[in-house]
Amino acid sequence: MARGLLTHAAHNTVQITDQGDFTMITRRAAAQALASATLSAAVLAAVGATSLSPARAEDKVVKVGISLSLTGADAHSANLIANGAILAIEQANAAAEIPGYKIEIMKLDDGTATAGQYDPAQAATNARKMVSDKDVVAAVGPQMSGAGKAMAPILSQGDLATITPSSTNPDITNPKFADQYRPAGKPIYFRTVTTDAFQGPNMANYMAETLKVKSVYVLDDSGAYGVGLADAFQAQAEKKGIKVMGRDRLDPKAADYTAVLTKIKQLNPDALYYGGVLQAGVKLAKQAYDIVPNMIKAGGDGVYGPEMLNAVGYPANEGWYATIASPHLSGSDKVGEFSRLYASRFGEQPDDYAITAYDAGLVIVDAIKRVAASGKPVTRDAVRDAIQTSKVPTLQGTVSFDANGDLADRTVSIFQIKQDKSAKPDDMDKQYRYIAVAPQS
Amino acid sequence: MTTFDLLLQQTINGLSLGAMYALLALGFTLVYGILELINFSHFNVFMVGSFIAMYTLQMFGISGQNVILTGLPLIGVLLMAFAATMLGSGLIGVVIERVSLRPLRNVKGPAAMITTIGVSYILFNIVLLTIGADSKNFPNPLPPAQIDIGGAVLRLREVLIWAVSFVLMLGLYYFVQKTKLGKAMRATAQDPEAARMMGVEVDRIIVTAFFLGSALAGAGGMIFGLYYNFTSFIIGFTAGLRAFTAAVLGGIGNVPGAMVGGIIIGLIEAMTGQWPGTAWSDVIIFGILVLVLVFRPAGLFGRLAPNKS
Repeated sequence: MARGLLTHAAHNTVQITDQGDFTMITRRAAAQALASATLSAAVLAAVGATSLSPARAEDKVVKVGISLSLTGADAHSANLIANGAILAIEQANAAAEIPGYKIEIMKLDDGTATAGQYDPAQAATNARKMVSDKDVVAAVGPQMSGAGKAMAPILSQGDLATITPSSTNPDITNPKFADQYRPAGKPIYFRTVTTDAFQGPNMANYMAETLKVKSVYVLDDSGAYGVGLADAFQAQAEKKGIKVMGRDRLDPKAADYTAVLTKIKQLNPDALYYGGVLQAGVKLAKQAYDIVPNMIKAGGDGVYGPEMLNAVGYPANEGWYATIASPHLSGSDKVGEFSRLYASRFGEQPDDYAITAYDAGLVIVDAIKRVAASGKPVTRDAVRDAIQTSKVPTLQGTVSFDANGDLADRTVSIFQIKQDKSAKPDDMDKQYRYIAVAPQS
Repeated sequence: MTTFDLLLQQTINGLSLGAMYALLALGFTLVYGILELINFSHFNVFMVGSFIAMYTLQMFGISGQNVILTGLPLIGVLLMAFAATMLGSGLIGVVIERVSLRPLRNVKGPAAMITTIGVSYILFNIVLLTIGADSKNFPNPLPPAQIDIGGAVLRLREVLIWAVSFVLMLGLYYFVQKTKLGKAMRATAQDPEAARMMGVEVDRIIVTAFFLGSALAGAGGMIFGLYYNFTSFIIGFTAGLRAFTAAVLGGIGNVPGAMVGGIIIGLIEAMTGQWPGTAWSDVIIFGILVLVLVFRPAGLFGRLAPNKS
């Protein structure tokens, strides 16, 4: 099973319940285990019955789900994100942050080999898996908005809160679509990033105000995130007086985009904006370099990832603009301690979405802790309510959410890929050069 | 760029795509012509081929886009990489035939075809689990030479793709038409029983068809890498499906038909990317396929051996 093997490669110290594998038990071993279990249960019952104060039992276990696109074109980014959340939870366990409780991780993959990227059907399956396990009290993820749209209604029915460190499509938390994405009423989709309602438009502002772009061609990858981001960008670009010369939709599984790029070359706009993730993004960047090498090219957080550095490579990726829906922190002194820990634990540097994932982990740990401290049972419902009222100091500052689950802070940061020969070619921090906070309109 | 330049540029784009589809389509057609079997494992032999090419080029010290060769070293490296890739992929084809299809040779019904789908997924998952899920930066040793024709651009890599495909197709045509083994192949395609009675070793012919088809798929995989400068475990399905469409369009079982079908599909894909837009490419490609099949069920060129019982 692809999923089982992949997740196994990614972790080794946290105890992770993976639904894909099981241990072989011989009949004799099983009989022995059964016998000793019965015995110890009997002993425990006896102790419980005779002593007035309850015996110090084992820590209670609660689970936190992590569902990301670990297979396919965004796998490397997904791993950076997963490790951020895992680190937060490992630290909480190691420091016994929540007395009497131990957090286990249920790590799931919503990417499938046939989709080559996130697969909404798999995301829905993962949501059901988490909802059906009573011990799962909160989740981190998903990475992709297309997965989020499939998961949100199921999580809503199951009253299970998730915190996404990277999915930015605004519809999921928009009260206008509450019927669709939170049919049970309460917000369950929280974010430690802002949304494309800011990410797209703010880049349009930057293009108009700073890059002095007069005309643009817009592409998307036909996914939920890509279409939404491109729409939001396009609307603001028009408002800013940028002429939108055309809009096309890429099939992420097709290999060839030379036809549409040739069309763009002939129209000769000042800039090309791509709303989408990396399955199409990698190919687009490569072929755009061949056909329209000098055009300004930009995308959202979909083109912020190590694959742009590894798979596209220099010089094709040089000059691409990318935004992220959070403040830029990686590499700064504020996160120095975190980066060192992360690098020593996982062998690579975190990027900004590893940081938002770590923050998501901190918010969940804090919520569970507050519920446990109040003496109430740690249930999903209680944890959700606690997340809603969070005021948690995290790496990006104090995280709190609005009534729909969106992050109060709405910073969008802009980067540009500029080769740094002294650093590792896939060092996110060095190769993506931070430019500025995108202008808010 | 004038409209004419645009048309010319899209034709260049389409011919490059078409050459790749044609190479792949030949593999479908060769196997179908002899076994009447649609070999879906072909999709991912193509994909594995591009990985073999990538590792071969990397063994010559070429990685990413930074090492550029010219002249004799370039030709030598390319020749060796093509040879290694085609040999490797050809052998994979032979193994697939020997291990998974020969035992099913006399089983009636769709068992063999379903098996090829299974083998396709096995190859796919082996690559996914051993090499990884992310796209790979395919080494590109070609110098960025290009000629401007009006507003259109013809790159060295396009010329190379056309040349390689042309040579391979010519070689295949010669092999099938002029050699003794080719003659035996055509005889087997017409009537395997009669061919067997005439002393043709049918098993050997089938193995040859698998070897040749898979070797061409491998060459197609290497061309894919050189043209797009990337490869990934997922590239087999879209390219394979289009190539299969090309084979059907040309008349499955027909060698020149596969070549022409490939070129047509490539051109349609490029032109629909221009007018009305990429989102429509598949609709139009498969629409044309349906139309052709409605009016000419045997495809544009019919079958080379229509009288097989």
